[in-house]
Amino acid sequence: MTSSSRRSRSLVLGSLVALVVGACGPAATSPGAGASAEPTAVTGAACQAGATEVKFWTSHTPPDTDSLTNIVNAFNAANPDICVKMTIVPGGETDIVKLVTAIRGGVAPDVYEADRFTVPQRAAEKVLAELPASSAALKDQHLEFAWAETQYQGKTYALPFDTDARALWYNKDLITAAGEDPAQLDISKGAPTIELVTRIADAINKKDASGNYEVMGWMPGGPGPGGNPGAFDQGWHYTWGFVHGGSFADLATCKVTPTDPGVVAGYQFMYDWQKAHDPQAVARWVSTNFPPNAPAQQFPFWTQKLGMTISGDWQIANAAKYGGGHDYAFTFIPVANAGDTPATWAGGWSMALIPGSKVPEQAVKFIEYITGPEGQKVYVKETTHLPTLKALLADASLYDEQHKVFLDLLPSAHSRPPLAVGGIYWDALTQAQGSVELNTKTPQEALAEVQTTVQPRLDEVGC
Amino acid sequence: MTAAAPAAPRRSSRFALGKVERRNLRWGLLFISPWLIGFLIFGILPILYTFYLSLTRYSGLADPDFIGVQNYGRMVGDPLFWKAASVTLYYTLLAVPLGVVVSMVLAMAMNQKVREVTLYRAIFYLPSILPVFAISFVFVVFLNPGYGLVNWLLTAAGLPSPNWLGDPNYTVISLVMIAQLGAGQWALVFLAGLRGIPTELYESAEIDGAGAWRKFKSITLPLMTPVILYDIIIGLSFGLQVFTSAYILTGGGSRGAAGPDNSLLTFVYYVYKQAFQFGAMGYAATLSVVLFIASLVLAGAVFRWARGWVFYAGEEA
Repeated sequence: MTSSSRRSRSLVLGSLVALVVGACGPAATSPGAGASAEPTAVTGAACQAGATEVKFWTSHTPPDTDSLTNIVNAFNAANPDICVKMTIVPGGETDIVKLVTAIRGGVAPDVYEADRFTVPQRAAEKVLAELPASSAALKDQHLEFAWAETQYQGKTYALPFDTDARALWYNKDLITAAGEDPAQLDISKGAPTIELVTRIADAINKKDASGNYEVMGWMPGGPGPGGNPGAFDQGWHYTWGFVHGGSFADLATCKVTPTDPGVVAGYQFMYDWQKAHDPQAVARWVSTNFPPNAPAQQFPFWTQKLGMTISGDWQIANAAKYGGGHDYAFTFIPVANAGDTPATWAGGWSMALIPGSKVPEQAVKFIEYITGPEGQKVYVKETTHLPTLKALLADASLYDEQHKVFLDLLPSAHSRPPLAVGGIYWDALTQAQGSVELNTKTPQEALAEVQTTVQPRLDEVGC
Repeated sequence: MTAAAPAAPRRSSRFALGKVERRNLRWGLLFISPWLIGFLIFGILPILYTFYLSLTRYSGLADPDFIGVQNYGRMVGDPLFWKAASVTLYYTLLAVPLGVVVSMVLAMAMNQKVREVTLYRAIFYLPSILPVFAISFVFVVFLNPGYGLVNWLLTAAGLPSPNWLGDPNYTVISLVMIAQLGAGQWALVFLAGLRGIPTELYESAEIDGAGAWRKFKSITLPLMTPVILYDIIIGLSFGLQVFTSAYILTGGGSRGAAGPDNSLLTFVYYVYKQAFQFGAMGYAATLSVVLFIASLVLAGAVFRWARGWVFYAGEEA
């Protein structure tokens, strides 16, 4: 055998080995391979032997989960015969893939923290189980809008856990450094106009030699983390629709109304702002400074890359943790014209029972605890969210001066329509927001598409 | 006068088998029965069940409600269906031909008679053994407009640096770039084809004074056409089903859209969103059926088109 043929043979053999390795590679490293089928619980280590296990899943991340852990541990200590095991799973407001596949696979949790405005849709999809009469009887204890979001066809599918309100947060240090007076935005002066905020923001803007934004004055809408469609923070479609007097649904006729003039005006504002600031330059800044799944401390508002942002009451707690000692304040969300009534909106999450739970009694006991005064007090205090329990709204011990301002916004806050297509509608509005902010579609075109996509689904499931 | 030919023994049909053939068939079926049963249960049955689900309203959890062809009617008026179809076709039209070219070039590089060829082969092949999702995560960083490696290189070369994942004009191109990292695997198939070409053909061509290009055009390319066809068919199938990289580049679409302006909403991504994010498993099944049929039609069209240019050395002209 010649040396060259030996070499050829070794090459072929080497290639074959590589081929085999290649064929095996993806399978050996596929998601979940080598790992436990279920993520590890973050609570329950101190439970008594023989306690009934209740599996609780949340898609929240720190710092919210730190508070949830405290509540779960307190429940376990007070109920030694029950052991709630809390697990942080992937997911989001409208993304419950992990939950759905777990239900199909027979490894579902007993309790799930669901974004409240999606509860009617999840109930229609049979993802959530109806709660017993003891839970339904708690109706009068909760804020009306929050309760309405937990209902589907007259039945209760979750209990409200928290709510919130939105405002314009601003960094006084950056505004001062830009030569503007932050006192112009003082909350005592009422809601600032969009024009004023844009002028101050443009003074903060800084660009590098290539024309890329280094610091942005504010980001009223999107894109979202990584440059994906959606809001950068809380500058959602709902925010600007409500600010412009829009109505997103007509519950009496069971119709979604994305082409309502106020909603269109909100989208038009986002379209015009992006056009004035170059959509691609804005997207590039977001992609660079706020990648997907970035931890809270990398939020550009804390890293001094952003002067103002539409955000919520939870940033009071975050400012203390991640704000780096800078001087932050907040005021009403800007209005279109001086003297307009300011607008905000309230969201919030809920605790739901999953169908097929083998321990429904214990699960409901936990749901009623965490959404009751014991749970909500801890969560409100530690995360600076707001309670849905009316009794806690008057508990002065829960709110400092800043937190109280958000509490005062709550009575006039809007909320998302409680529809059985809540998540689908949100996603369609988000897609439309993305297109409008890229200036690839006009608001009318994008919102007409939302109507075409969502209304047939609503017709199927009803109100 | 011609003598009548003796009558051939008649068979009841053209597929009638003799005793030995029947016995062989029985044994053959028995031997492949594990695979056959698996194929029926995990291949055919899900396809048939998908056809059934496409005629239902089904969230994936409650019982399916039969609604006839309503889902098909809805699909025609669904703008996202058309968007997903156009994104997928655009991606496939870019990725498949480019994949053929890249694989061929890699294979020819791997076929060079140089001492370090084994090292080159390993280097060219290495990216294709990495899982797509891992490569995609790495590319999210590589393609970052501010600190990504790709734009750093482009800027160093004095070229414009696009926002790869934030500008809808570049998102599909990013996806095509990622797909090319798997070309090493196909390059091995091409390499096998190249090494199967008789060297006498090249020697004869050289005697006749043919240059490198002429040899490639008149010998290599025609004799490689069966491999190219194979690559196109498999590439078409993979291209129409692209999902993982689009899913990861868009952060899982958990915030509503699949990339800027839905520019990464590939067909299977849309099936996934309908099935698992929107709770519309029945409609997702409808989309899957359409993809299945479209794949068959496209593959058939490619085979038909290939009759004009694929050269099989063993066939009569």
